[in-house]
Amino acid sequence: MKKVTEFELPTVLGSEKIAMEEVSKIAKSMGFNKDRIEDLKTVIAEACINAMEHGNKFDQNAIVGVVLAANDNSLTILVRDQGNGIDPKKIPESVFTEDGFPKVDCGMGMFLITNLANDFFYEQKPGIGNEVTISFYLDQ
Amino acid sequence: MSNNIEVSVRTINDIPVIAIKGDVTAVTGAEVKTAYETISREGAMKIGCHFDPACYINSGGLAFFIEIASESRKNKQTVCICGLSDHFLKIFKMVGLTRCFDIIDDPEEAMKGGCG
Repeated sequence: MKKVTEFELPTVLGSEKIAMEEVSKIAKSMGFNKDRIEDLKTVIAEACINAMEHGNKFDQNAIVGVVLAANDNSLTILVRDQGNGIDPKKIPESVFTEDGFPKVDCGMGMFLITNLANDFFYEQKPGIGNEVTISFYLDQ
Repeated sequence: MSNNIEVSVRTINDIPVIAIKGDVTAVTGAEVKTAYETISREGAMKIGCHFDPACYINSGGLAFFIEIASESRKNKQTVCICGLSDHFLKIFKMVGLTRCFDIIDDPEEAMKGGCG
């Protein structure tokens, strides 16, 4: 896996669009189709928003680090924050009520990431922050 | 960095249609919700929501549509959605919003038929 780019975002909602543009450019050059590029844009945006909101708690002195790495058939996104971490138990298994309607306020960002990406890994690094690693495969 | 949205309401065949252009996020989505609430207070039972195909919707924006879905269900209103890109139509489906709203292709045609 080769690092393609690495950059930092301020903890300001809207700055996730920089990450969306970067991932879109790289995914296009790798040959991902239009649908998967849209999925990648949504996933990286949600990971950055989660880092700002749940990780950095909107502390404007904190930054969000993003690394994009690739090999011949996959693109991996790594998003780091500087917060204390979220309780992994709070990652929702379902965003639906018992009768199949969407729940209000239920960790929708994480739901989208886990449902759109091929692989997802979350790690809490005590004293450093949280790191999410998300992979998309070219052939899936 | 700003989040931009343009929300306006027009009427097609007596049905109010909320036109949305730009970014629907945790910050800007409130404008859509306010438009829905205003229309609801005026007694509308059928409401259209017309997205510009270039709209960006994130989880914060989706949360407002989930609230609208919940309130419109309670109010027994019909809400029609049109103009969503294929990607955001997939997202609406993934989070269950297509069960709550009628998805239509063309607002003019749909409103002529009474939205849904």
